Amino acid sequence: MSNWLDTIMVLLALTNLVLLGSSRLAVLIRMAALQGLLLGTLPFLTGGELIVHQWLLAIAALVLKGAVFPWLLSRARKNAEVRREIEPFVSYMVSLAGGLAALIFSLWLASRLPCPANLGSTLVVPLALFTFLTGLFLIISRKNALTQVLGYLAMENGIYAFGLAIAVEAPVLVELGVLLDVFVAVFLMGIVIFHISREFEHIDTGRLSSLKG
Amino acid sequence: MKPNLLLFFLLLPPALAGLAAAALRRPRWILSAACAIILAAGAADFYAAWLVLSRGPLFAANGWLFLDELSAYNLAVMALIFMLSSLYAWIYFGAEMLAGRFSLRQARLFSGLWCGAFSAMSLVLVSNNLGIMWVGIEATTLMTAFLICIHSSRGALEAMWKYILMCSVGVAFAFIGTLLAVASARGLHLPAQEAMLWTNLNFNAAGLDPMLIKAAFIFLLVGYGTKAGLAPMHNWLPDAHSQAPAPVSAIFSGFMLNTALYCLMRYIPIVEKATGHAGWSLELLTIFGLFSILVAGAFIIFQRDLKRFLAYSSVEHLGIISLGLGLGGAGVFAALFHLLNHSLCKTLAFFSAGRLGQIYGGHEMDRMRGSLRDAPVWGLGMFGAILALIGVAPFALFMSEFLIVKAAVDARAFLPLVLFLLGAGVVFVGALSHALPLAWGQPVPVSDKERPAAETEEKDETPPPASPVFARPAYHEILLVAALLLVLLVLGLWMPEFLRSALVRASGIIRQNEAWTGGPLP
Repeated sequence: MSNWLDTIMVLLALTNLVLLGSSRLAVLIRMAALQGLLLGTLPFLTGGELIVHQWLLAIAALVLKGAVFPWLLSRARKNAEVRREIEPFVSYMVSLAGGLAALIFSLWLASRLPCPANLGSTLVVPLALFTFLTGLFLIISRKNALTQVLGYLAMENGIYAFGLAIAVEAPVLVELGVLLDVFVAVFLMGIVIFHISREFEHIDTGRLSSLKG
Repeated sequence: MKPNLLLFFLLLPPALAGLAAAALRRPRWILSAACAIILAAGAADFYAAWLVLSRGPLFAANGWLFLDELSAYNLAVMALIFMLSSLYAWIYFGAEMLAGRFSLRQARLFSGLWCGAFSAMSLVLVSNNLGIMWVGIEATTLMTAFLICIHSSRGALEAMWKYILMCSVGVAFAFIGTLLAVASARGLHLPAQEAMLWTNLNFNAAGLDPMLIKAAFIFLLVGYGTKAGLAPMHNWLPDAHSQAPAPVSAIFSGFMLNTALYCLMRYIPIVEKATGHAGWSLELLTIFGLFSILVAGAFIIFQRDLKRFLAYSSVEHLGIISLGLGLGGAGVFAALFHLLNHSLCKTLAFFSAGRLGQIYGGHEMDRMRGSLRDAPVWGLGMFGAILALIGVAPFALFMSEFLIVKAAVDARAFLPLVLFLLGAGVVFVGALSHALPLAWGQPVPVSDKERPAAETEEKDETPPPASPVFARPAYHEILLVAALLLVLLVLGLWMPEFLRSALVRASGIIRQNEAWTGGPLP
């Protein structure tokens, strides 16, 4: 099992790097979907016994993150008629370098935190943190509202993996609530983007700056 | 009804009733129904709080829901603020309806989300499970986001986007913190269903992993601090508060920020016990609190928009509350008292700002000069609220700030004391320089040329009316303002016994087993 886990974790790191280095929104959305799929398989690889509702929850997370969110976001993208990220605050090369720095930082932090490695692989905690930081970086450094939502998704993916790694026994009701919240949040963000693109005829958050001081 | 079942009744029924009310056919009916729902639910909250304060904590759902003195106190404040704001919403949107700016669609949106927000905040307060508490906080963000946009405008859309993104991202940090806190209890081998319960973590706090719980608290402070509007994570707050309709701003400032701070209050005793009462988490709270006070002070001076000014004042007061919590000892008592006073006062301030804004057709302070002359009731409410907010004696906020100063002296925390007084002084001067012309100044015609370019670029759907519209205030408006001002005055001069005992017991939960260094309780 550990081999599979390690492979998935390495793939996860690669998706993060693509998220940081690409400017085409369609690619970014596909990468976020891939991340959702990769993480969705995690609960099945932990080796532990899964009860029925845990199965259902894992499948729900897989479908939401791997299919529903990407579909919602591609619709929003077509609606807003944007293809590429607008000139970001931080260039793509610098973003990639920042990503590598975040990876190293995550490895260091995970080695400092006495997190028990519940899953068969010690890579899960650092890569969960890396995914979280990647998302945060995207939100801060990009201007396109859709990319920021993708960053939020990446953060949530990181938290999901982190939760699996350190607190496997989180009660189902809590996980259900979290999943519901994330779903509604992404859904609402999609609606807001729709309204913004209709009202302003762009979704460049760098130009949403009438409120100051 | 068994008292334990009451906890369930606080949660879902308001949200469902709010949705049901949205099915009505007239905006006025919907508004009245939403108002009635919140009044009824608020009464239930008061009853629950009274039960807890007279008989002890309530538990339900295998301990997943519970109400102790701390949450009961917060629940009572929440109910009070929501009830007042609902009454005010009835007045405020009633006036909009007359002006044809409040349609059926808007009424439906309002009723559903308003009651939903009530339920979400109740969920935060009554859940014992730290995961569910987080779910509640995120739900409050989602419920209130579209309330900002009831009157759709470019500014409101921008504010809503910042709000939903920044708060969701911030609160994501808090979830990592929650997970770390649960992971720190691993050594205790609690059963899966109970590992996330606050009562369990609090009871076993001495056995938690100190390293992990410290990491957890940092994430929690950043996460819930964002939602509570602590600087430097406060950027969403002035935009959201200034763009939302006044009743919604009142709820934002009056209680939503406190909900997030309440989550931090829950973690303080756990962290303190796990780290051997070293005051580590308290120091962090003090630093964030002071920073918020100073940042808010700097921004308040330069504000031109009344509601933005009030929003920065919220940053300041939430900073004062965390400072009080951070000082520990009698400071916790003062912080909880200040929380009530700030909520009451800020709701009055936003109520007045909202009505004045309707009268003058905008929230620029230049436009509203001489409001005491033109609109005596709301002008007086505004002026009184600002005086109370900056801590003029004998208002209640003066008393609670005085107690915080006393707590700082008792704890020999002189640097925080100096910084606090400096910040409060800057706010005092800055706010007074806004408040005096606002009350007595001569009106300055605001022409569009004088306004900054960014504002003229923004095209609101309804241009503000050229001249102010003065109407005779109705009796219930006079009553609302007078009652709030009176309560603020009375609380400053005399504290009723039930309030004192509630505050002592609620603060006892936060400073559980704390090595007591200060004098006797106030």
